[in-house]
Amino acid sequence: MAQTTALKRRITSVKNTRQITKAMELVAASKMRRAQENALRSREYRNLARAILTRISELTDVTKHPLYAKRTIKTRLYIIVTSDRGLAGAYNSNLFRQLTTELQADQAQKIQSQVIAIGKQGAKFLARFKDVEVTAVYENFPDYPTANDIRPILNTIIESYTAKDVHTVDILYTDYKSSISQVVTSDRLLPAVFEAVPIPKDLEAAEFEPSAEVVLDNITERIIEVQLSQALLESKASEQSMRMMAMKNASDNAGEIIDDLTLAFNTARQAAITQELAEITGGAEAIK
Amino acid sequence: MIHFELVTLDGVKFKQSVYEVQLPTTEGVIGVFKDHSPLVAMAVPGVIKVRHKAGEPDDLQDFIATNGGVIEVGNDNVRVLVDEADLADEINEKEAEEAHKLALKLRSEAKDQTSLDHAQSLIDRSSVRLQVANLKRHRRHR
Repeated sequence: MAQTTALKRRITSVKNTRQITKAMELVAASKMRRAQENALRSREYRNLARAILTRISELTDVTKHPLYAKRTIKTRLYIIVTSDRGLAGAYNSNLFRQLTTELQADQAQKIQSQVIAIGKQGAKFLARFKDVEVTAVYENFPDYPTANDIRPILNTIIESYTAKDVHTVDILYTDYKSSISQVVTSDRLLPAVFEAVPIPKDLEAAEFEPSAEVVLDNITERIIEVQLSQALLESKASEQSMRMMAMKNASDNAGEIIDDLTLAFNTARQAAITQELAEITGGAEAIK
Repeated sequence: MIHFELVTLDGVKFKQSVYEVQLPTTEGVIGVFKDHSPLVAMAVPGVIKVRHKAGEPDDLQDFIATNGGVIEVGNDNVRVLVDEADLADEINEKEAEEAHKLALKLRSEAKDQTSLDHAQSLIDRSSVRLQVANLKRHRRHR
């Protein structure tokens, strides 16, 4: 009897766990969809910004602008996009592995490394490194960041780049390829990358007010901003997708454990019944 | 008619054929009608006013609060690239007022240049929103 009670308790507890993991799976799925939708929305913004930039490049030498200037790399700044919470499968550890490789490569070349961490997990991980300077940590960053949320990061990197404190800025994030494939990706934010795109007819003869240089300043910042926002949203979609998979596996495992325990419970109950019957018949035989 | 599109980081906020668009730029407010010469200009924080058809009274216009960006004018279209834009209907007057007060308080308490800059940008933003909220109220009272 004691065995069946213990088994029953374990079954209830695993069932509770399954309920929680199942709920987390559903929440992650809906958050993932939203992040994906948001990632698509900024596409128009990026295309227009790029078209205007290409048009400017015809009027003035874009690469002369300080944000496009390539420098000898002595200090590298990384922005690493991690999650605040755990239970997201290999989401954070994949990023950490990549970052560690990059940091070691830098060390071998005597390049100093600085890191801006987004997400609590990243901050926790970086605390272990002694020779890496963590310049900023953003915890509880909004899931769907607006321009206002991104602005502080943008200003920080542009300031340290123009002040020549850092010589290159990379962002390390998880690119969302599909719901089964997410890849850790490193993108260069600064020096800014100039890609020529076809110019729409309207822009061909456009005049610039107050001047092409002023517009160039602004449009370059906007392109970096959209890159940042894109990386953050891709990361969010990946995180939720990986969390969804992890929770799905956990729910499946819990289901299997419940099956095994139920079988054990039934066997134990049957054994108890058989034993009781045997005792009764045994007792009856003895009285005869 | 001219095609007006407002593009923000969160997607396209406004997309319509309209009669006139008034945009705040570094060189002052410009009004854009059909067949305007192609132009790329800088928008400053302010109110974008949209007149839907010719002869529409001022108080029926659409008002949009923006924090500045880039304006692109083609022959029959205007596209505005901004970080953030709030349509008048999305702004709650009370909230806008509170945000403005908070921003003013932040500025008075600012200790260094960074927080002062931050507070100033908040003030710019909230005062534009407040302006739009007021314009909206006038519209409703008529």
